[in-house]
Amino acid sequence: MTTVPAPRRSRRRVPSAPYLFILPYLLIFATFWAWPIVSSFLMSFRDSRLGATAPFGFANWSRLVGDEFFLTALRNTLLILVLQVPIMLTLATALAVALNSRLLKLRGLFRFAFFAPLVVGTVAYSAVFRLLFNSDFGMVNRGLTGLGLGPVDWLNQPGPAMAVIILAMTWRWTGYNAIILLAGLQGISEEVYEAAAIDGATPWQQFWKITLPLLRPTLLFCVVLSIIGTLQLFTEPALITNSGPGNATMTLGTYLYQQGFRSFNFGYASAIAYTVAALAAIFSAIQLRLFGRES
Amino acid sequence: MRKLTLLSALALGSAAAAQGQNLSGTVTVWSWDVAAKALQSTVPGFNKKYPNVKVNVVDLGNQNVYDRGLAGCAAGGADLPDVYSIENNEAEVFWARFPDCFTDLNTLGADRLVQNFPAFKWTELTANGRRYAMPWDSGPVVMFYRRDLYQQAGVNPATINTWDDFIAAGRKMNAKFGNGVKMATISNGQDDEWFRMLANQNGCFYFDNEARQVTVARPGCVAALNTIKRLYDANVVATGDWGGQITNIKAGKTAGAMFGAWYEGTVRTNAPDQRGKWGVFPMPASRVGGVRAANLGGSALAIPSASRNKAAAYAFLQHALGTTDGQVTMLKSQGLVPSLLAATRDPYAAQPQAYWGNQRIWQTVLNTLGDVPQARGTQYFQDARQVMIVVQSDFVKGRYKTAQEALNDAARKISSATGLPVAR
Repeated sequence: MTTVPAPRRSRRRVPSAPYLFILPYLLIFATFWAWPIVSSFLMSFRDSRLGATAPFGFANWSRLVGDEFFLTALRNTLLILVLQVPIMLTLATALAVALNSRLLKLRGLFRFAFFAPLVVGTVAYSAVFRLLFNSDFGMVNRGLTGLGLGPVDWLNQPGPAMAVIILAMTWRWTGYNAIILLAGLQGISEEVYEAAAIDGATPWQQFWKITLPLLRPTLLFCVVLSIIGTLQLFTEPALITNSGPGNATMTLGTYLYQQGFRSFNFGYASAIAYTVAALAAIFSAIQLRLFGRES
Repeated sequence: MRKLTLLSALALGSAAAAQGQNLSGTVTVWSWDVAAKALQSTVPGFNKKYPNVKVNVVDLGNQNVYDRGLAGCAAGGADLPDVYSIENNEAEVFWARFPDCFTDLNTLGADRLVQNFPAFKWTELTANGRRYAMPWDSGPVVMFYRRDLYQQAGVNPATINTWDDFIAAGRKMNAKFGNGVKMATISNGQDDEWFRMLANQNGCFYFDNEARQVTVARPGCVAALNTIKRLYDANVVATGDWGGQITNIKAGKTAGAMFGAWYEGTVRTNAPDQRGKWGVFPMPASRVGGVRAANLGGSALAIPSASRNKAAAYAFLQHALGTTDGQVTMLKSQGLVPSLLAATRDPYAAQPQAYWGNQRIWQTVLNTLGDVPQARGTQYFQDARQVMIVVQSDFVKGRYKTAQEALNDAARKISSATGLPVAR
């Protein structure tokens, strides 16, 4: 009985001034962040192909299920996810360990070198990859021919085109992940390694028994970031292969763009966008559940 | 007599000048690349009539014009220019999504100019009884060919009347150059231009002209897709996208190219060293005596409703697109093929062109304009094109038994993407 009025009194005393101060921010946040998110969700239930967006029910959502283009985009995106992310993170881990080594000289230079691809503009690097993999005049085919291997029609064949996308993404993002992992490595105490060395553990054993388990939170962070990034993948397939040949490298991102900004079908594009968001949430949740618990 | 015409010309001139004095202000024009340069080239002529109007042509690049137009229309006309360039195929998306974003040109007097352009150019520019844009250039399709390579292979272009003849010529070419020179490059897996050109020639397209049905499985389109397969099976064509086509031309790997006539400038500027070696002939027909014309591409100019200077903007449209002077100026400067019928009769169109072996190519090109069957991009153009690119490439690969089967599948996919029924 006696405790109840006390919080009530203190609540009354809460001044309104702080809220007035953050009110402009809240208004901007609601207008430019929260409302578009709600609005695009509402739009996914409308037929944006008519001048006035007409109510449409679940037509956009049910179209997703039977839309072969969407399914192709989904399949391509998942293929990249399953192939590229493990390759990249394995490379990044190896790189991070190498960059962390005491034996390495000019460490700063190497760290910069592997991080540098991220500094290059996506459009510029995509253009360079297009040139490198040009079938007739590209350096890659020149090299292959020089080695006695036949040239590959990189950008006009489905398999090779996908390989180029995966290569390009790996080139750009491995260094970035390596730097994050490096930060994780430096958080591992030296004493643990010293103790292991005294116990006679080989470097290989140290890596598997100490480095990897202790690096797990950082790796998990990289995995989740990569999954979200891959699900939103747009620049590389849009600029290097133009989703082609056919739709062999079309991703959810490029299909969303095509529906939204080529066909002006914003309702359907919104449905795709929400599917991507849902997938990202689901995959991240699975990752956190499987690998995040113990840490 | 001569004095009289001079006097009347002066009188007419001063009357026009008096009218021109009434208009003033600035007209901002959004366009892209060569199209922007072409419009710029008409400005001096326009300013002779309207000295007080300042025309400001802004070259935003093709994609930006489209994207910013979309954004502007979605924002209720904010930040749009006075004159907006729009590609015919993409035009209907604008009219369908934003019916009030552009001025009905009939209210400014465009209905008086209808007869001056071929009917097919208006199809995509009018909707719901409103005339949203004025026809600009067009893309009458022709076959560009290398005179020297044809000659070496013993092919006379004058004898190529049908696609069968074209394939026979390709076999001769293969025999002569050991498969090193192909008749043309087809975009396969990247675009479906050849399918669209051939379908249009056969009076077929993705949709009917009322934009109510998916017609891509009709006989004309089946014939078109079959022709593409036959060209591949006979091994007389190469595959390549836009850049690949140009590369093949430069490297002498192809003895020709088929495109809208605006490709003239592309060949001429990319292969200046092949001057005099090129010529033009009408596209081969599907059967003896069949249509030898089609259209690929072409643009129009519209006036956004938000323009504050509509009268001056319309005067500019009328000068640049509605007069022989304006259209021929653009033909000369950038090779844009006029769709204004009167421009066909301009002396310049009859002049031999040095690059093209002194052939009077513009006559060949313009003479096909009257034969081009109507076709309509509709607001679903991009959806349908995406489907056809994949179906064509799968059919060429042999993933379907017949062209009819492939196009039935395409029709089903286009129908599910657009909600339009498949034509019976």
